[in-house]
Amino acid sequence: MPQLEQVEFFISQLFWLGVFFVILFTVLTYITLPKIRAFLNQRDDFVKSHISKQDELIKKAESIIENYEAKLTEAKNQASQIINDAKDKALKESENLIKATEEKIQHEIKQTEERVAKEKDTAISEINDQLKDSATNFLSKVTNIEKGNINL
Amino acid sequence: MAKGESPLKQFEIQPIVDINFLGFDISFTNSALWMTITTAFILIFFTVPFLKAKKTNSVSDLYPSRMQVAAELGFNFINSLLADTVGKEGKKYFPLVFTLFMFILFGNLFGMIPYSFTFTSHIIVTLALAMGVFIFVTVLGFVKHGVKFFSFFVIPGLPVYMLPLLIPIEIISYLSRPISLSVRLFANMLAGHTLLKVFAGFVSALGFFGILPLVFIITLTGLEILIAFLQAYVFAILTCLYINDALHLH
Repeated sequence: MPQLEQVEFFISQLFWLGVFFVILFTVLTYITLPKIRAFLNQRDDFVKSHISKQDELIKKAESIIENYEAKLTEAKNQASQIINDAKDKALKESENLIKATEEKIQHEIKQTEERVAKEKDTAISEINDQLKDSATNFLSKVTNIEKGNINL
Repeated sequence: MAKGESPLKQFEIQPIVDINFLGFDISFTNSALWMTITTAFILIFFTVPFLKAKKTNSVSDLYPSRMQVAAELGFNFINSLLADTVGKEGKKYFPLVFTLFMFILFGNLFGMIPYSFTFTSHIIVTLALAMGVFIFVTVLGFVKHGVKFFSFFVIPGLPVYMLPLLIPIEIISYLSRPISLSVRLFANMLAGHTLLKVFAGFVSALGFFGILPLVFIITLTGLEILIAFLQAYVFAILTCLYINDALHLH
């Protein structure tokens, strides 16, 4: 096995391993890795700042939605109140109208009844007068007594 | 693979440039070449996408480029691995775990390229990495807890008469950490690559029926890529667990 037979190259292998490992370690430690770390940190910071900004915006949007909903419910309440008011008003008006009409009708009925009664009375008295007249005429003709002297 | 070549030939170290420093042979070999490629690739892969990266000023800047997403994926993977095993204190050790994971991962993955060399298939390399982790973790434990670190070997809540038996066991298991850590990675790489080469030999040997081992090789390559990732992950997560042990003892 060359690994154990070529002993003469052990020192050479160790030497070059040391050289390249130290070079690699030094360059990585002082140049490459800090560069990568700084870059990643910067990006993380950027992302984090954007996330916090996003949170703020979400909060803002939520408050706007709340505001909107509150206003919406207020408007709905107002609308239903207006509708109720209008209904009440219309109901009242119609009731009033019905009442007024009923009263008017009743009044007219009464008036008509009164008029009828009056006309009945006048008609009766007229008939009475005519009957008196004709009776007076008849009596004066039968008895030859002047009309003026007859008093029924 | 040429006929009669050993399936282990792929692990042979071949010097590219002979270098001798103070009597030590530190030749630039194929192993060193692939370490160079791995290191360069990792540095380019993770640095370049962020060089041109714009500052995030508007929402449209939030979209990263494709290369950036790939690099971030690796970054976040190790980040969450450390956070899950060690917690907040683990952030300090992020570069170490990241370097280890990426070095082993891309070492393993580049080893899957035909004619390439897998430096993680050499016990000396994996042992060096594991010993590095072991020494780091032990020193970290002593720095954090001082002499109290030895209480790590005493399992709380055990009857006293059990301690003479269990303390040596705990010490042995602690000392065997670097061995298990290195051998696990080394053996996985060795076995996978050897198996691939053995079956590759069957393809040419069986003639027309070589299609069967060929299908097997294709399937096995997928499995090997999974293992390449898995072993890097195991190495990284065990390092995290050892760091956690050193920080919090029990």
